[in-house]
Amino acid sequence: MDLANQSNGAAIKREDALSPARKRARRDEIQALKLAAPGIVWMTLFMVLPMIMVVYVSFWTQTTFAIEPTLTVDSWVRFLTSPTYLDSIVTTLFIWIVVLAATLVIGYPVALLIGLMIRNVTLQTALLVVCIIPFWTSFLIRVIAWRPTLGTEGAINSILINLGLIETPFTSLLFSELAVIIGMAQIYCVFMVGPITFMLARIDHSIIEAARDLGAGFGKIFWRIILPLSLPGVVVGAVFVSVMVLGEFATAAALSGRKVNMLGNIIVSQVGSLKWAFASVAGVILTIIIAIVITTLLRIVNIRKEM
Amino acid sequence: MLTLKSVSRHYGQASAIDGLDLVVPDDSYVSLLGASGSGKTTLLRIIAGFEEPDNGTISLRGARLDGVPPHKRGVGFVFQNFALFPHLSVEDNVAFGLRYREERPVRDKAEVRERVQTILGLVGLEGLGRRAVGAISGGQKQRVALARTLIAEPKIVLLDEPLGALDANLRERMCDELRAIRQRLGISFLHVTGSETEALLMGDQVAVLADGAIAQIAPPDDLFRSPASATVARHLNAFNIISGTVSDGRLRSPVGALALPTGTGARNGQPMSVALPYDGIAVKPRRDEASDGISARFVTAEFKGPSMLSFFRAADGSLIQSLVHLSEPRPPRYEPDQVYALDFDPELLIAFPERAY
Repeated sequence: MDLANQSNGAAIKREDALSPARKRARRDEIQALKLAAPGIVWMTLFMVLPMIMVVYVSFWTQTTFAIEPTLTVDSWVRFLTSPTYLDSIVTTLFIWIVVLAATLVIGYPVALLIGLMIRNVTLQTALLVVCIIPFWTSFLIRVIAWRPTLGTEGAINSILINLGLIETPFTSLLFSELAVIIGMAQIYCVFMVGPITFMLARIDHSIIEAARDLGAGFGKIFWRIILPLSLPGVVVGAVFVSVMVLGEFATAAALSGRKVNMLGNIIVSQVGSLKWAFASVAGVILTIIIAIVITTLLRIVNIRKEM
Repeated sequence: MLTLKSVSRHYGQASAIDGLDLVVPDDSYVSLLGASGSGKTTLLRIIAGFEEPDNGTISLRGARLDGVPPHKRGVGFVFQNFALFPHLSVEDNVAFGLRYREERPVRDKAEVRERVQTILGLVGLEGLGRRAVGAISGGQKQRVALARTLIAEPKIVLLDEPLGALDANLRERMCDELRAIRQRLGISFLHVTGSETEALLMGDQVAVLADGAIAQIAPPDDLFRSPASATVARHLNAFNIISGTVSDGRLRSPVGALALPTGTGARNGQPMSVALPYDGIAVKPRRDEASDGISARFVTAEFKGPSMLSFFRAADGSLIQSLVHLSEPRPPRYEPDQVYALDFDPELLIAFPERAY
C-alpha cells in the first residue's frame, strides 16, 4: 500500500487526505449520478429538446401549404384573438374540473371501502385488480362502447322506455358534453381510486379507534382524521387524472360528434392539416395549463413529507 | 364501578375470553396480569366497545355498556402504540375529544385551550403543546396519549400495556406518575400488562387472567403470599411449580420426594402441585441420592444486580430457579454440570390440591 501511494504521486495522496466519511460521500454521489444518467439523457432527448422545439416552431411563419423558420407572432395572435380557440380553452378547463370532481366523488367511497373498511389484504388486492379489469380491453373499445350505451336507441334509453319511465328517448345523452364527461369519468376513475386506496390503507386502525374512544362519531372522524390523512392520495390521484384529461382528445372526438373541442382536438386537427405552427401554439398553451394545475395541486399538500 | 359478568368472546373455535367475571371498584387502580395471548387486549377492547362479547354483560355504574357504540361509552382507552393522530400537534391531539365528541362537545375555544393547558401540566408536558407528535420522544408520546384520554374525564381508563414501548428507566418513572395522576383525578384505571413486577407495583388490586377468565384478584401482597392456584403462582414468576401425587404425607414428584407443609392433610393418591419460592432455596453440596428433596445439575446463573438467579436442571429435565438476594452472604460460584442438593423449609411451600382426573 505504502509503496503504491508513493509511486502514484500527488493525486492519490490528496485522495488519502480525505476522511473516510468524505470518501464514502463522494462514492455515493458518483453512484447517484450513474443511476440518474440514463434518465437525464432520455428526458433531454425526448422532452426538453422537443419542448424547446415546439415553443420555437410556434413562432414560425405558417402559409397555407408550407411552414418556414421566419419568426413571427402571427399564430399566437390568431389563436388568442379567435373565440373558437379561446372557447376550446374554456371547454378543456370545464371538462377537466367536472371530470376531476366526478372521479373524486365516485372514487373516494370506493377507495374508502377497499382501503379502510376491508381489512383482509387478499380481498383488498383482489378488489383493486377488479378495478383495473376494464383496462384489459383497448382504450378505443372502452370509449366506443359508450355509443351503443348512450345512443338514442342505445341501452340506457331502451331500458328506460321498457320500464315505462320515459316515452321519448333522451337524444342529448350521446354526442354531447355529457357523453364526454361520462366517458372520461369512467375511464379515469381508477387513477383516483388507486392512490387514495394506498393512503387509506396506511392509516393505523388504532388511530380511528382512538378517535371513536374519544367520543367522535363517523362524520367527525372522517373530516378530522381520515380525509386529512388521505389528502396526499387525493392530490396524487388528482394529478394523474388532470394530466390525462387535460391532454385528452380521443374521448371527446368519439363521444361528442365533434361538438366538443378540447385543446387536444385542436392540436390533432391542426396537425392533420399540416398547420404545425398553430398546433405548436395550442401545445404550448396546453403545457402551461397543465404546469399551473399540477403546481397548484402540489401546493395543497406536502408530498415530500409522505414519501 | 365496572362490572363484567360471565363475559365470553370466541374467535372461530378458540375462545379468547371464557365466562369472565371482574369488578373494578371506583377510584382504584387494578392491574390485569396475563401472559401474551391470554386475551387481555381482547378484554380491554370488549370493555371499550371496539368488539362486542358473544355472551355476558358489562355495566359501568349500573348502566349496561355492551351494545353501546364505543364513542358513547365514556370509557378511556390508552393504546399500546399510543395511536396519536399523526397530522395534529400535541395540543390538537389532546383537544380532539373535547372538540369533536358527539355528546357535549366544548365549543368555547378559550375553555378548550385552558383545559388542554391544565391537563398538559398534569402529565408534565408544559410548553410542548405546539410540537408535532412526530417530533417528541416515546415517553412524551405516552403522556400525550394519556392526556388525550384524561381530558374527557372518563369514568374509567383502560391502559393496554401502556409502558411496553418505553425503556426500563422511563417505565419506572411513568409507573409512579401514573399512580399519582390517578390518585389526583380519583378515577379508576384498569392497567393490562404481561409483566408481573409492573402488575404488582401498580395495582391496588392485581387480577390474574388465565385461560380466558380471572384466576384470582387480590391486593398484591395477598396475591404474592397466597396465590389461589398453581396457575396464579406461575404468573407471578417467583415460584417453582412442582406437580406430583401425595403418598404418606409426602409429595412424590418427578424431581424427588418433597416434605409437605404441616396441615396440608391430603390423602394418598391425591394429585397436588406445590409452589416453591425462588428465594426459599438453599443450595448445598450433593448428598446421598436416596435422601429427600431435590437434586439438580447447575446450568447457569444470571447476575441481576441486587440479586442472583441460578438455574438448575432436575433429574427429569425440568428447570428449577433459585434466587439469592445479595444482601445475604454471597453464594459460592457453582460448577456447571455439578449436581447440588436444593434444600428448603417445607413450610415455605404453598400446596395446591388438584382434582383427580
